[in-house]
Amino acid sequence: MALHKLTVSSHGVDFELPSNSPLTDIEWEAGGKNVIPLGCRVGACGACLIKVKQGLDALNPRNDEETAFIELLGYSGADYRLACQCLIRGELAIEVIG
Amino acid sequence: MLNRVKNVGYGDRTPFLNAAASVNLRGEIDSIIDEQVDQWYKTVPQAAHLEGKDVNSAYYKRHLIETAWRIRLLRVAEAKALVEVAKVSPEAAQIWAHYEQEEMLHDDLFIQDLQRVGVSREEFLATEPYLSTKLLAGFFSYLLDHEGPLGVIAYSYLVEYVNVKLEPRKLEALKGSVGESKIVGQISHSHTDINDDHPGEVWAALRFLIKGEQDIAALKRYLAEHQKVLAMYFNELYLDTLASPQAKVA
Repeated sequence: MALHKLTVSSHGVDFELPSNSPLTDIEWEAGGKNVIPLGCRVGACGACLIKVKQGLDALNPRNDEETAFIELLGYSGADYRLACQCLIRGELAIEVIG
Repeated sequence: MLNRVKNVGYGDRTPFLNAAASVNLRGEIDSIIDEQVDQWYKTVPQAAHLEGKDVNSAYYKRHLIETAWRIRLLRVAEAKALVEVAKVSPEAAQIWAHYEQEEMLHDDLFIQDLQRVGVSREEFLATEPYLSTKLLAGFFSYLLDHEGPLGVIAYSYLVEYVNVKLEPRKLEALKGSVGESKIVGQISHSHTDINDDHPGEVWAALRFLIKGEQDIAALKRYLAEHQKVLAMYFNELYLDTLASPQAKVA
């Protein structure tokens, strides 16, 4: 299974995750705890809001619910995602907003 | 032919409350809770403290600690409640499981806010919860063993209804007194309750558990009893933090 590099530019740290891992899995990697604030982990609270700096195509697409909730939080633009809803499929760089 | 299987939620699955009756009862219950809230502000010491301009640091921090513990302890009981709910109504169990999925890890949001005001996770873990917090968890255990899951689900309806109604006001005040950047976790928690309509979700589960007039009467009593136990907590919090030495001795 392929490993993909995830760079969290706001924290200056990198991780490697297997393909289709949720981004929130970095919690279980060394140095990964508390990098992305986590709450419900099911797309309902907004704690894990991120901005994709590079590699938007390396994530599963946003669904309507996630889009609507992110807009409700006051963010527009396809590059805003909820980390708990994201599955990594390629090299990716993100910034933590939440 | 004899079939001895029971406790699987088959039989007549039509809810006792049809759609209109459910809406009417929910309106009645909401009015009861509104009155309970009025009483709350009149009788619980410093009930509106967190809505004020000056928030006592010890009160605020201990409230977050107890809230995180309460959420964590009650999640265990609410997970056990899923079993009891499934025995009565798998329809209610499906809803309850979804609600619990969304709420299950919310203690972490409060722990994150504790860290934002200088209380480490280690300090939180080293703080044993108040007796009143333990008693609430114990009440849940009693209910599941001896009265059934209705009382446990009723608690969630009470807190979800009150949270949606009052939490935005409290959070606006905390933005000023504590700082918006320090209450990010509590804001996220509130997002789930309001945007995901958690009161509606819990009511949908309750509707399937109400099998007759006795359950309606029981629901009303549970709401009052949960309020009493929560009042014990706020009293304990007040005595431990805000109260003067004279008040503590009395």
